[in-house]
Amino acid sequence: MTAALSTVDATPTRRPPWLAYAPIAVIGVLSLIVPLVVGDSRTWMGVATSGLLFACYATAFNVIFGSTGQLFLCLGALAGVAGYATPILAEDVGLPLVVALLIATALSAGLGALFSWISVRRSLGVIFTGIVTLTFSLGFGNLLLGQRDLTGGETGLRIATGADTWLRELVPVYLLFLVLLLAYLGLFQWLQRSHFGWAFRALRDDPVAAELAGIDVARYRIWAGGIGSAMLGLAGGLWAVTEGFVSPTTFAFGEVDVETLVILAFGGIGTLVGPVIGALALTVIDELLRDAGQLRVAVFGVILITLFLGFRRGVGPALADMFRRILPTSLVDRFT
Amino acid sequence: MNPAVIVDGLIGGLQLGLLAVGLTLLYGLGGILNLAHGQIAVFGGIVGAAVLDADLGMPAAAVAAVASALALGLVLDQSIMRPVYKRRGEERILLSLLVTLGVSFVIDGVLVWRYPSEALTMRVGTGGAVDVLGITIRQGSLWASAITIVAIGAVIVFLQYTRTGRAVRSVIEDETGAQLVGVNPATVRTVIFGLSGALAGLFAVTQSMTSPVTSSSGVSYTILALIVTVVGGLGSARGALLAGVLLGVVNAVSAAEIGSYITAIILLAAAALTILLRPAGLLGTTR
Repeated sequence: MTAALSTVDATPTRRPPWLAYAPIAVIGVLSLIVPLVVGDSRTWMGVATSGLLFACYATAFNVIFGSTGQLFLCLGALAGVAGYATPILAEDVGLPLVVALLIATALSAGLGALFSWISVRRSLGVIFTGIVTLTFSLGFGNLLLGQRDLTGGETGLRIATGADTWLRELVPVYLLFLVLLLAYLGLFQWLQRSHFGWAFRALRDDPVAAELAGIDVARYRIWAGGIGSAMLGLAGGLWAVTEGFVSPTTFAFGEVDVETLVILAFGGIGTLVGPVIGALALTVIDELLRDAGQLRVAVFGVILITLFLGFRRGVGPALADMFRRILPTSLVDRFT
Repeated sequence: MNPAVIVDGLIGGLQLGLLAVGLTLLYGLGGILNLAHGQIAVFGGIVGAAVLDADLGMPAAAVAAVASALALGLVLDQSIMRPVYKRRGEERILLSLLVTLGVSFVIDGVLVWRYPSEALTMRVGTGGAVDVLGITIRQGSLWASAITIVAIGAVIVFLQYTRTGRAVRSVIEDETGAQLVGVNPATVRTVIFGLSGALAGLFAVTQSMTSPVTSSSGVSYTILALIVTVVGGLGSARGALLAGVLLGVVNAVSAAEIGSYITAIILLAAAALTILLRPAGLLGTTR
């Protein structure tokens, strides 16, 4: 009896806490290779930076959908709220850039929390949350087109703030988004390991059981919606300033939401490195299809269907499973 | 206000209702939210346009449009929807939504890539306008509404009075109960997927009598159908028809009086508010 107990205690499966953050450091170091190799190519740095942006979007979506199962189909719109509010606050109102960015981010966070609150309050299922947020997404697009004076309508908005500073240089902007992504991944991992993570896992598996076990499901859902939307907003606002231009297409449903969904489905919903793997894969696929024109859309559709029917848990975890069968478990577990 | 605007709205609304009935029946039956519905309609429309281009005449084109959309619905049902049917409840709806979103991209992408400038336009009658009770109506609109009303009548008769129609309604009511009395939900689902496709094809035909159905209009059809379906109550065929007519009038009046961007926002807000205030829709009962 005592022997059995001591063996349980003596197997230190508990890894040192810093090890949980090690993959993030690895991603950071590997990502530094890009500017070293193609640092002065405008095209390649643009592609790489937008890859980082989408990894950020996907990490934010991972907090909202991956953690608490809230299907937000307004990722682009939430990023766009801050993406438009930042330059408007900085230029039309005259606030300092950092203040404008913070207010814009808070605006996105507030909206996201509001959507979560509504969907919890009206106890909307996944589908109805999806439809309500989708209507917001499409409505936001129409609002941008209609409010021509403020947003420039279809032609978009040129942003003078940040021009001629490091915010418009290739490598610094890449590093800025890399830092942002690493911070997001760190935040995601920290959330998973804190009391949030316990609550998230419980309520994702069975909200009713979680509620009965004393978890305030509403509160945690609203936190996830708010935090994830803040992440979307900050990324969108920074993108607007560093690009120097936003238009309704920048944040359109077909551009942001669909791609983010594919990225997360590819990398594995709910996993730490899933968004990075997915974003990397999608960036490569996008580049390969650059000349395919409209056929690109069709290929995207095929990928979406294949992913959801064939690899429910994402290509990343599926590969990990394969390795697990070949390699000793201890080796694989350390990295997943 | 010009009464012709309201009549236009009514005619457009009837067509929207017809498009939405296919969507709502599929949802009520099998928990399938088909986000490729508008694209199926456009597929039918483009096939019809190809038949018109081949100088085979308008009736042949209309039949081809309906038949091809019907066939596409059946193919989807028998192929990629099969793994979806294996799931239950909310998981099935979610998976169907994501998979049909993929399907919509495939149809959209292929059509716009292969036929970027193809569009179905049917000029029925002499092309002029006629006077009905002092209101000027284009002949195309008259034809479109006549066909739509006949089709709606046929759907109602099918659902109310035929054996298959009653089986359909029994599955919507209670899938397990229907199974117990010998109705096979899979067969019913296949029938409805075909019917839904055929109605989408018919929508493309009637739509093309008033405005061209282009290869890229699938997304907007899907969104309109989704809005109408939600306002009418997911799963309610009568609700979809009523909501279609209602939103059609709102759409026409608002577009004429206020402007198109605000109109889109009004329609979207109607859907969002319906979900928040009355999730079962106009005529639906909360389950």
